[in-house]
Formats: sequence, structure tokens, C-alpha cells
Amino acid sequence: MEAGTQSRKTMTLNLTEAEMKALDDLSATKDISKTAVLRQALRLYQMIEVRMARGEKLFFEHDITKEKAELMMI
Amino acid sequence: MSVTSLVHLKDRGAGRFVEANLIDGLTREDVEKADADWKPFLDEQIKRMESTGIPKHKWPQHRHWNWREKYDATEEYLAYRMFGIECQSQMQGLMLALTAGKNSQIASQRGRPLVYVHFLAAAPWNLASIVAEPRFSLVGSILVAAAIHLSIEEEFQGRIGLHSLPQSDDWYRKTCGMTDLGPDQTVENLRYFEMTPEQASEFLR
Repeated sequence: MEAGTQSRKTMTLNLTEAEMKALDDLSATKDISKTAVLRQALRLYQMIEVRMARGEKLFFEHDITKEKAELMMI
Repeated sequence: MSVTSLVHLKDRGAGRFVEANLIDGLTREDVEKADADWKPFLDEQIKRMESTGIPKHKWPQHRHWNWREKYDATEEYLAYRMFGIECQSQMQGLMLALTAGKNSQIASQRGRPLVYVHFLAAAPWNLASIVAEPRFSLVGSILVAAAIHLSIEEEFQGRIGLHSLPQSDDWYRKTCGMTDLGPDQTVENLRYFEMTPEQASEFLR
């Protein structure tokens, strides 16, 4: 038994050296391919966009001090 | 878009395996039908438990879950996937999984992504805690296996995580072989469980 695999489309991506390095680093840290990193990033970005469109805000909270900082999205 | 795979449930009454469909990507109609089938049955059983003096702590702890609300709250997001197992024209189990933004907390896997199982439930007529003779078994195991396969498909190597209701702690710990990371104060003190790639391989064996 396998979870169903949906058909996928391919695209070429142009990145600066710094962006490619960030992608390489995330790929290594997360132990997933660069494609999987970008898929993760897209899903999170889409979720944030939908929620912000509803009037919600995105905050980071410090684990110990509980200090909150809003992440400004353009 | 829905994708369907063939799976097998155990029909406990007949004592044999029967074909079922594992659906990845439920439609609103699927979820509404499941809710319409499950809720009256569950309400009736709760009434019976109440009238026969069964203490509240033995009632199913997920009795308040509303799958239609969960569907409405997540259908827009790419990161959420809802699965169901359909057999004999009824939904026998449902699962909502998140595929982005959750990382492992186990030391050997720390920071690596996992599939987070937000909600998983078998239909009320399949629960031994509710009915004397559950209709189908293997529903929960197939849904956990689906979460593992999803994790593998996402390159997470089978890592999954979830917060368990107390009634299910033993099942995740013993039957699924997941690591119990203890109560999580940020999620109603529910115990947090994770499955490593090794545990996932063992579960699928």
C-alpha cells in the first residue's frame, strides 16, 4: 500500500549564489533534496499568505522569555 | 485531486479480509457523508453509555471531533492532506496530516522534517471501547502506514509525529512502536509520540 502519488510538473529555477547556498544548507540540514526544501517552503508560504489574507499576523515567540516579535511580510 | 489505493480490512464478524479503498485527498462530500454516518451512531452509543452508568472517562475522548470543520479549516492549504478508508460504502477511518513545518524532536533526528498526524480516528462502530463487536479491524494501522508512506514520499524517511489522546497512548506506544516523548504542555498536556525511520521500517514490515 502506498499513499497516492500525484503527477508533477518540472520547472527551471534561477538562483543567486547566496540563494543557492541557503538552499544547499537547508537541504543538508534537513536531509532532504533541494526540490523537497522548496516544496516545504511553498507550502508554508502559501499557508502564511492565506492566513494573512484573513487578517491574521505571524509572530515568533522566544521559547524562554516568551517575548513576541511580529514577522513583517510584504 | 483524490488518489485511491486498494487496501484490506479485517471483517471481524465474517473473520476474513475485505477490500477497501484508501483515499488520499477526500472531497467535502466524502467528509460530509462520513460525519453524517458517524455522528448519529456515536451519539446513540454515548446515550447508551450514559444510561448504563459507564463513567465519562471511558467514553471516547474524540467524541467532540467535527471532521467537517477540520476539512473546512484546512482545505485551502497545500500542506494538509486528508485521508479516508472506505469500505462497504461507508468511511471506516479518517486522518488529517500536515506535511510542512514540523520537525523531529528525537535527538538522533532533531530538526529533520516529519509528517505530523493532526487527527486520526476509526469509525465509531470499529472501536472496541464503544461497541462489543467492532466491525472492522486494521483501520488505525492502515492510516498510520499511510502517514509513513506519505512521509517517505516527502523524503522524510518515514518520520511521523503526533499528540495522542490518553485512551490511545498504549496503542501508539505498543502497537505502533513509537517513541513516547512525554506530555506536551503546549498541547493540552497530551503525550507527544514520534516514529523514527527505523521504527517506521519495523512498523511496515
